[in-house]
Amino acid sequence: MIHTSNLHKTYGHGSGAVHALKGVELQIETGEFVAVMGRSGSGKSTLLRILGLLDEPTQGDIYVDGINIARLPERKKAKFRLNKFGFVFQEHSLVSELTVLENVYLPAICSSHNNEYIEYARELLEVVGLTDRLQHYPGEISGGEQQRVAIARSIVNKPKILFADEPTASLDEESSHIVLDLFSRLNRDMGQTIIMVTHEPEDRKYVDRVIYLRNGAVDLGGAPLSPDLLN
Amino acid sequence: MTPFFKRYKLALFLAFKSIIKGNHWTLALIIAVMAFSFVNLIFTSSIISGVMATLDQQMIDTMFANIVLSPEENEYYIEKVDELLPKLEQLDGVAAVSAHLNSTAFIEYRWKEKLSQADRGKSGTWSVIGIDPNNEINVTSIHEHLVEGQYLDNNDRDQVLLGVEVAGGSRSQTPDFLNLGGVHAGDKVRLTFENGIMREYTVKGIFCAREMQRADHLAFITRKEMASVFNRQVFYDRATQILVRTADGRGEGSIIPAIKGTGFKGEVRGWDEYAGAQHAVIGTFGVIGSVIGAVGLIVATIVMFIIIYINVLNKKRQIGILRAVGIPRDAIVGSYLIQALSFAGAGIVLGFCLINFVVHPVLAAFPIDLPIGPLNLKVEMGRMVISAFALLIASLMAGLVPAVTVMRENITRTIWGV
Repeated sequence: MIHTSNLHKTYGHGSGAVHALKGVELQIETGEFVAVMGRSGSGKSTLLRILGLLDEPTQGDIYVDGINIARLPERKKAKFRLNKFGFVFQEHSLVSELTVLENVYLPAICSSHNNEYIEYARELLEVVGLTDRLQHYPGEISGGEQQRVAIARSIVNKPKILFADEPTASLDEESSHIVLDLFSRLNRDMGQTIIMVTHEPEDRKYVDRVIYLRNGAVDLGGAPLSPDLLN
Repeated sequence: MTPFFKRYKLALFLAFKSIIKGNHWTLALIIAVMAFSFVNLIFTSSIISGVMATLDQQMIDTMFANIVLSPEENEYYIEKVDELLPKLEQLDGVAAVSAHLNSTAFIEYRWKEKLSQADRGKSGTWSVIGIDPNNEINVTSIHEHLVEGQYLDNNDRDQVLLGVEVAGGSRSQTPDFLNLGGVHAGDKVRLTFENGIMREYTVKGIFCAREMQRADHLAFITRKEMASVFNRQVFYDRATQILVRTADGRGEGSIIPAIKGTGFKGEVRGWDEYAGAQHAVIGTFGVIGSVIGAVGLIVATIVMFIIIYINVLNKKRQIGILRAVGIPRDAIVGSYLIQALSFAGAGIVLGFCLINFVVHPVLAAFPIDLPIGPLNLKVEMGRMVISAFALLIASLMAGLVPAVTVMRENITRTIWGV
């Protein structure tokens, strides 16, 4: 469903250039829950941002359902991000002036054909367990709750792929489990494809597969996660 | 709903929420800046319009009334005035008429103190106008501006009324060597007319119309007295000019053809045809006012730009997140344009209220006392509309530039600064 071909990303020029990605080749199937792991500076976040069309590769192609999205003009990329992708960031990604409910249905205002998105946003907030927080503002709820709102927002347009960039990095252990359980349920019950960057080893138990990055290249990817590795 | 309206709806939604949930003090500051920028744009031009209106009204009230009848070309006088005046008074829209018999005279004060024939002493040459005081009070307002003594009566023969710039003294704006140096009511002056007739007059009153250019440089005697100076038998029924005062609300344009319709052969002109030089001077002030207004608009634009730019910079990360989740570019830019227009709109409404309900009433109650007279603001609706439109365009630019600048940045740089 999504595969990359010879993906490179270089920051800067000349002798000061940093090669964040060096010819990444990977393939992720529909319905997979994949973790991207690796040491700091291995290129995990860069890969996620490029796959999610937040940044441009220096070289290489990204195919989603056969379309090379890396070559799309900015307007179409924005449309792709709106309708096909969902994003959950590390922290503080909600619009502070909007209520929890408004934050969730915000991306749907442009993409929906009627006003049913408000009701759907309520349903999603019920799924993430925040029905009692609908009219609260982000500053009035905890970090874990904010992430659950961000997850609800990320799926309001029923995206093909959900990208999550270290979604539990700023959360306590309990909140982290709630968020990861939520991802698991979305993947299991709704068949949601999820690509999640994480460097927490224990997060491996939630995912179908791990793609390891080392120095900007895939170290181990594509193979199902074995019980040995989990242990 | 078309995609355009969906994006517009989203822009409106984001702008509305940003304004409602934003910092209220910042919002108040932005609107106050806009309001005072608008007041600044209107105030300067209104002052200049007020000066123009004051000077125009002074010319009407003290010099020309609304319409001036003059002799035919190649003639020096209007004949058969006593027949003409009743005809003019009967015309629809005419409130009053008054005939003037004009001359110039060499006027001397304390001439007995002169040391020799060559000694000019306290003297000078000024225009002297013969009037019918009973008619004149209905046409001009000189009688309302007496600072000393009394106004003329129809039967006065040896009395003269002097403008303050002729009489001189502490109220005069001109230096002493250009006036009589401080004449008072009751003093004697000697007038030598252009035909050589020399007569002594008692100063019956001194007026200060604050029309420094012309009216306050005049002297008045009765028309009967002026006719006797020239030749009573010939001049009793002659006039140099006839001033016509129109009824309130009646423009000159509708009455001038009616005057010509009476068979009057001379020239008939509106007061404004005599105001060319003054209007040229005031027009210069108008240009200066426009330059000041343009500078004010530029300053207002820069202030708005800075405020909105800071606002956009503060929300840079949020803009990045909105872009990341796929909110269309024009919806985001549109929300900042709507905010900028809302700030400007609120500022314009507040500025409009300040001008019309605070500044204007206060200045009407306590006019600025200028040498030319009390000055009121003359707020022109056309100028207000133009200024409001200019401010809206400026705010649109001030909102557009920073928003587009941030939108051009890479999303990752906008969110994470890398």
